[in-house]
Amino acid sequence: MEKPIVQIDNLTKRFPVGNSEFTALSHLSLTIDKGEFMGLVGPSGSGKTTLLNIIGSLDTPTEGSVEVMGQSIATLTHKQAAILRNYHIGFIFQSYNLLPVYTVFENVEFALLLQNLSADERKKWVMQALEWVGLTDKAKSKPSQLSGGESQRVSIARAMVKRPQLVLADEPSANLDARNSHHIVQTMKKLNKELHTTFIFSTHDEKVMQYLDRIVSLKDGMVEKDEAVLHIQN
Amino acid sequence: MIRFLLKGILGDKSRSLLPVIVVCIGVSLTVLLNCWLKGVMGESLVMNANFDTGHVKVMTRAYAQEAQQMPNDLAILGADTLTEQLKKTYPDMDWVKRIRFGGMIDFPDEQGETRAQGPVVGWAVDLLSAGSKEATRFNIKKSLVNGKLPSTAGEALITHDFAEKFKVNPGDEFTLFGSTMEGSMAFKNFVVSGTVRFGSNVLDRGAIIIDMADAQQALGMEDAAGEILGYFTTNQYDNAKATAITTSFNAKYTQNTDEFAPVMLRLRDQGGMAEYIDYSTTMGSLMVFVFVLAMSVVLWNTGLLGGLRRYTEFGVRLALGEEKNHIYATLIYEGILIGTIGSVIGTGIGLSISYYLQEVGVDIGGSMKNSTLMMPSVVRAAITPTAFYIGFIPGIFSVVLGNALAGIGIYKRKTAQLFKELE
Repeated sequence: MEKPIVQIDNLTKRFPVGNSEFTALSHLSLTIDKGEFMGLVGPSGSGKTTLLNIIGSLDTPTEGSVEVMGQSIATLTHKQAAILRNYHIGFIFQSYNLLPVYTVFENVEFALLLQNLSADERKKWVMQALEWVGLTDKAKSKPSQLSGGESQRVSIARAMVKRPQLVLADEPSANLDARNSHHIVQTMKKLNKELHTTFIFSTHDEKVMQYLDRIVSLKDGMVEKDEAVLHIQN
Repeated sequence: MIRFLLKGILGDKSRSLLPVIVVCIGVSLTVLLNCWLKGVMGESLVMNANFDTGHVKVMTRAYAQEAQQMPNDLAILGADTLTEQLKKTYPDMDWVKRIRFGGMIDFPDEQGETRAQGPVVGWAVDLLSAGSKEATRFNIKKSLVNGKLPSTAGEALITHDFAEKFKVNPGDEFTLFGSTMEGSMAFKNFVVSGTVRFGSNVLDRGAIIIDMADAQQALGMEDAAGEILGYFTTNQYDNAKATAITTSFNAKYTQNTDEFAPVMLRLRDQGGMAEYIDYSTTMGSLMVFVFVLAMSVVLWNTGLLGGLRRYTEFGVRLALGEEKNHIYATLIYEGILIGTIGSVIGTGIGLSISYYLQEVGVDIGGSMKNSTLMMPSVVRAAITPTAFYIGFIPGIFSVVLGNALAGIGIYKRKTAQLFKELE
């Protein structure tokens, strides 16, 4: 049996708040297998973003263990964490966070600059990523010339261009209308199927949830419910 | 990555334009002030060296103690022999005899009666020998307003302002009254060959320049000279060489207790020149320091504000797998790039203004009327090789320092916090 891509055991994360501490995650255990298309749902403050940050090696656990692709997040050095993110994890943000001075092509290419790829290879990969999200014709556009939906598709291309095993998407549809929300989640779903990339969403958007194969509900930093979703084909 | 950085800097005006403008202003001011100080101080230094101190000067010990009084009764005897010895021992230098004297000149009318009289200071220099550089040293050709240089014995140059005051023209005769080195009265007739304006109020108030042989004859100073001046053949004062030469020369006379024994002084040992040189050096260093400090404070704040605004970018870059160290290093590279661009433009502007001030100058003669300091009335900037790079020191250093300080924020924030600021 294939090893899970994310293995979380008894994770607790506390943040100092003044003289006391705030517990964001409490004794949370979760196993995520490769190729899953799953979501973390729950109200604000339930710990979704904190959990994504720890899985993405941007933060470390206070207690418990988190293993991503077999690497313990707690013991990673800054350099090792950066390498893990650089080669294996893609991020998609709620507000796209495209760099405004660069073109669409360069925004996507930026992710590859830290890898030792030739300019030709980078170009090939970037154009392929833009093809996945249907934006090859916008390669030379600046982010300011794009709609919200197009910007988020560029953000997806940027996350996917290095072909990571895991993509973490934090409220990716929060700033989009219904049509665009469906479009970008469908795009991600397609990539999940074609490239077998694992997607973990943080969302409370019903439109996103209907595409998820698994929904983990968080409440007060704990797993309240963990259920597989059965999709009925029309 | 460098292409990306460059495009980011050029594309993001707030990241580049303001820092470049600040650097540009600071660098151009640094260059301009450097050239100005070099010009003013350097020109004064050269003028003092040419007219008064030489790069080194030999006098009798007694003369040296009263040098400001021009005490020709304490002058060097056997000056020709000593000059020849100096030429043999220190062939890298041009050795010249000089007599400085004070006196009065009398301009007669057509009947030979006194029409006007006035006090003058005089320089006796070698004007007539072939190969003498004294006329060049006194910049006489360029300073000549009317007439010509003395070409025969008995001719003299007088300062133009003085000549105008007494309505004297080239070809007019005058009598110089002074005292011999034995203290008796001396007088000799001269013909005005030309009038000169040196551009220094101290000199232009009233001075005459006569040939050395004429002065020796008039003042009873055959084979004597008040001073023997040495000039490096490069015409640039070199303190280390001057020190070596004076040390070697003076060592020969340490056992000699005669007050008329010769003593050699460097330029910086005379008339407060040491303070003057040190002051100009200190001012130059201080100026660069002040600009580095001031620009660093401004650019630190600019960098800090820019850095805060760029936490989004840093967050994205961290998420994409860039290390904090790498982001910090790119900030420093950016600083070097912006500093270099600003320094190049600022140096260009500073040099342009300096060039204008070098060619045109600023007339400060009005405020120097009663000054005894030997400095030109029209002060000018001087573009030296230093001016081409001095601005780069504060220019690059301040931006790098500003970015380095601002970039510390990347380390002070936890990665997740930086990342959180994305939203």
